[in-house]
Amino acid sequence: MLLRKELRESLPCILLAAIALLIIGGIALRLEMRSGRSGWYYSNLSPGATANTYSFRQLSSLSIAGSWLFVISIALGLGLGVLHFWIPYFTRTWPFLLHRSVGKMTILAAKLTAAAIGCILPLGVVWLALYWYACRSNAFGIPVPVRVFIDGLILIALGLVVYLGTALAGLSRAKWYTTKIFGLTFAALVLFITTVQFQCGLLWACVIIVIGIMILLSQVVDTFLKREY
Amino acid sequence: MNEIVLETQGLTKYYGSTLAVDHLDLKVPRGCICGFLGRNGAGKTTAIKLMLGFLAPTAGSSKLLGCDSTALTPEIRQRIGYVTEGHRLFRWMSIAELERFQRAFFPEQWDKTLFADMIEYFELSRKKKIKHLSNGQRAQVSLSLALAPKPELLIMDDPTLGLDAAIRRQFLEGMIELIMRQGRTVLFSSHILADVERVADRIAVIDKGVLRANCSLEQFRTAVKKVIFSFANSVPTEVDIEGLLHCRRSEKQLELTLVGTEEAQIAEWAKSAGAEEYHVAKMNLEDQFIEFTAPANRKKLFQWEEQ
Repeated sequence: MLLRKELRESLPCILLAAIALLIIGGIALRLEMRSGRSGWYYSNLSPGATANTYSFRQLSSLSIAGSWLFVISIALGLGLGVLHFWIPYFTRTWPFLLHRSVGKMTILAAKLTAAAIGCILPLGVVWLALYWYACRSNAFGIPVPVRVFIDGLILIALGLVVYLGTALAGLSRAKWYTTKIFGLTFAALVLFITTVQFQCGLLWACVIIVIGIMILLSQVVDTFLKREY
Repeated sequence: MNEIVLETQGLTKYYGSTLAVDHLDLKVPRGCICGFLGRNGAGKTTAIKLMLGFLAPTAGSSKLLGCDSTALTPEIRQRIGYVTEGHRLFRWMSIAELERFQRAFFPEQWDKTLFADMIEYFELSRKKKIKHLSNGQRAQVSLSLALAPKPELLIMDDPTLGLDAAIRRQFLEGMIELIMRQGRTVLFSSHILADVERVADRIAVIDKGVLRANCSLEQFRTAVKKVIFSFANSVPTEVDIEGLLHCRRSEKQLELTLVGTEEAQIAEWAKSAGAEEYHVAKMNLEDQFIEFTAPANRKKLFQWEEQ
């Protein structure tokens, strides 16, 4: 019941993000197919030079959609975090919500689960649909690599990091210029390191995200259980 | 009647350097309706939140149904009803949805019939969303939600705040309905004295975080009195009588507000001060409360001009 309530409250944000990604991604794909300008690029190729064609990177519309996925995922994480832990409209119901025959941890778990489902599932499904459409359409010379799809999933996971950072900042009773912004600062740091690590390999990016989520999650749980309402 | 269901011992809460609740020692016996009175900012909401474990005390402790407030288990919470200040419910839910939500946490004790009866009594439509309800209607829903699980202890934080007289009466009648059931205990904060007078059998008065009275309503009504002394000549400049709260004087009259002063003591003082006559003025609970919690120079003698 708690989970259903949280999902229902988060639904407008989730739908908005999923629809935005679907529209922007869809438009990018359609434009690509119409113009037939799918191509390949090599970042440091000078005139007359030779290059290994396997090092060429595909400049597809999915890369453009990927940039938008990054923005939308972060916006969704931020939106859900603000919705759950910042807006007085919801936070004023804390006493009513907390006086239940379940522990505080169950209430928090419902919020976090709703956020995880909200961040990952809708964007993941839309991203999968876009990838599937790009693979089966004839716009591209060769099949779009799976890596593009996996990159997208990592970007989606970053939304969860931002959600946890926002939640931690929202729960903190400290002044904004002290430790209150720790959550958001830490999330920003994780975003930065992850985007840098993309160049080095997916594994490192995943490791950083997992570590980031673990640290933020433990802080959120601890703050929620100790906080006054 | 002697079993204590709510007890605080030296309960203290500081917000930074501000003292909100100061060594609160309160006991509420089972089966009574206790009005928790105090002016705005007296510390009522803070005290209630401390009792329910939403705030951590700076010092002292509090127990509800024998369980420490800081460690209230879900099982104990199930036995306590709580009506929040301002009746903050989930605005997007309809009354029916809210009932389903609340019922899920009290599966065995939820009284479907009682909830339905109350909603009907308050003439509310189950389909209506909370955001479309007036303040008064939200209060009614809030009370119905708190009463339907048949709580042993019901705690209400200023439940009638912002409601008009008719709705307040209806709300209180709903509450009395619950009290008729044996063994229920209610603690409700309010600053509407007429409401308290109508339903409470005990009162606890809190003033600037300090508990100033915790007794039966009848005891309070008897204890706080205003006595007007008439003098042939000038009134005495010094007043020294036990239980003096306030003192006002005009040219030939002296008005004393006293607490707990015996009739014999008043008569004795009147004689020694040379008063021609004296009489006890009628006071309603509101007058008594205002006099009892009036701020500052309560022991000082000050002049007042008759209009």
